[in-house]
Amino acid sequence: MMARKTFRAMWAVVAAAGVLALSGCGPAPSPTSGPTGNSPAPSGTSGAPAKKIRIGVSIPAADHGWTAGVVWWAKETQKLYPDIEWTLATADSPDKQIKDLETMMVKGLDGVVVLATESAPLTPIAKQIHERKILLVNVDRGFLEPVADIFIEGDNAAFGRKSAEFVAQRLGGKGKVVVLEGIPSTVNTDRVNAALEVFKLNPGIEILDRQSGMWNKQKSLDVMQTMLLKHKQIDAVWAQDDDMALGVEQAIKEANRTDIKWILGGAGMKDIIKRVMDGDPMFPGNITYPPSMIALGMQTAVSVLRDGNREAILKFQPRHLKIDVDVVTKENAAQYYFPDSVY
Amino acid sequence: MGRRSVHPMKLSEWLPRYGVLVALAILMGFSAITQPGIFLSPENLRNLLNQNAAIGIISIGLTLVIAAGGIDLSVGSLMALVAALGLITLNKLTGAGQTEVVAVMGAGAVCLGLGAGLGALNGLMVSWGRIPPFIATLVSLVAFRSLTLALADGGEIRSSSLIILPNLGQGGIPLPMLPTPDGRPLMLTWGILAWGLVALIGGYLLNQTRFGRYAIAVGANERAARYSAINVGAAKFWTYLVVGVFTGVSAFVLTARMNSVASSSMGLYYELDAIAAVVIGGTSLTGGRARVWGTVAGVLLLGIITNLLVLNGVSVYWQGVVKGLIILAAVLIQRRRTD
Repeated sequence: MMARKTFRAMWAVVAAAGVLALSGCGPAPSPTSGPTGNSPAPSGTSGAPAKKIRIGVSIPAADHGWTAGVVWWAKETQKLYPDIEWTLATADSPDKQIKDLETMMVKGLDGVVVLATESAPLTPIAKQIHERKILLVNVDRGFLEPVADIFIEGDNAAFGRKSAEFVAQRLGGKGKVVVLEGIPSTVNTDRVNAALEVFKLNPGIEILDRQSGMWNKQKSLDVMQTMLLKHKQIDAVWAQDDDMALGVEQAIKEANRTDIKWILGGAGMKDIIKRVMDGDPMFPGNITYPPSMIALGMQTAVSVLRDGNREAILKFQPRHLKIDVDVVTKENAAQYYFPDSVY
Repeated sequence: MGRRSVHPMKLSEWLPRYGVLVALAILMGFSAITQPGIFLSPENLRNLLNQNAAIGIISIGLTLVIAAGGIDLSVGSLMALVAALGLITLNKLTGAGQTEVVAVMGAGAVCLGLGAGLGALNGLMVSWGRIPPFIATLVSLVAFRSLTLALADGGEIRSSSLIILPNLGQGGIPLPMLPTPDGRPLMLTWGILAWGLVALIGGYLLNQTRFGRYAIAVGANERAARYSAINVGAAKFWTYLVVGVFTGVSAFVLTARMNSVASSSMGLYYELDAIAAVVIGGTSLTGGRARVWGTVAGVLLLGIITNLLVLNGVSVYWQGVVKGLIILAAVLIQRRRTD
């Protein structure tokens, strides 16, 4: 009996060790966790082997279409600069992301590009990175203190505002609208609040209902199905996000509703852009929110660090770049169409 | 569910046993009153069943696992992995020139077969490996999701079946006596029917087969079961295999409905909802006491809560709290004074 108990205890320890090792990846683990260094540096033709510049990239895990796009763009941009020693880590929670960044710092870094899972919890470690004089490029979700050397953000307020303006304009200032929201987060709140401001200025627009579709096609399908039963007459849907827009569309089709004239999604999924390009009446437009902004962050980090002119470049490099979101319509859709993108 | 005496049950016995039905009735009544005409409409009721069919099917299998004293945390990730490979198989078969029917059947076969295989893997870890089920299925939860993400690069797998699979997802048996607002007969989807079938099979396995009896015995008192010459390891193993097969069915049902597989979000946190449903339904989490019909009621209870919150426009921030409180209440009602 004793031997069996010890045997079991051993197994439990082995299993627990295995779990701890794997749980370093978290419940929804990243496909690439830890160092993904590129091809070894060619021994410099100039004689002395060039010390490779080490840049870390810390981004959210691909939990929906947009974040999957971010991961894809990050991987593609790595290929553009094979002379840089890249470390890419994806995280499904702020907790995991902090661990990723700490690990990268231990490894030793010249610069790091961070797209925060959430702004507040990541600010302390961002401060630490800044104090260590590691170049910090902050993309999209800003830290609560100005510790980043360069901050590139998409304008979520503009996203919400332009979306609402598109909806109001296209409905001619009068109509019944249903709103789908994203995962409760600062990104979602900024967008929705800005949109509601615009809708307030258009009293003819009636917001029938607001529910979260969690930026998820399946959840949006279920939620929209229920909302369709509740509201017998809807003119248009602001779905805020293209994954959700597809779920909404499926719900409408399954319920065979003809009153809904069109859906406004967002973030420029390639299939939706194609439909805008082709003049699909259900998708008359889109608002961009390019996941490729991570590529811009990475490119900026490279250009600042590459030739050793960091201090000089930072004298003129803007510290805060706000990427405006664009309204996509049939006329200009072609320039927003990237058929090879994963998003 | 044998009654020990012929006297009518006291409330303290009756409530834990049938409390879930009371809760269900109260909620349905509440929903019918606050959302007149909408909640009880045939379409809403059908949606309720359809939207919860995937979780429902998984929960039946989980009932068996929990009855035998085990737990399976990996069901959500297993579903995603099996669905991903099933859809990849479908696409590969289509690419290889097979007809759509063959491709869809291939996907179905992969879903069931791989579901069984991965369930067996869990079973082996628990029975032969003697690894505590929590740890073993935690490992597979993480590993299966990781594999799914790797297969799909974190993105979505689209189906190359444009007619048959979506029709399986949306079609079913038409019920002409229950028209929808646009006049077409209400469709009792294949997903709902699959859930019903799985529930019947699950109930049969649990209550009418030796395997079910052994599973309950193992869950109630593993040592006593072993001394009664029950092969404890085998009993446990088969419960994990069964939940794997049922999860495969669920994977196929959900893939048909979405005609795609979202590698990062499909099945995410399903295990929590499934376990909650099983527990609400009156199955003891420590094993030895289980009810398939209770699990079905539990799934419906959770589904109605969500439906109710959406219909009433409750902010999504509050939905979690409301859901948690109702689950707590349901479990408290079902507490038994003696065991």
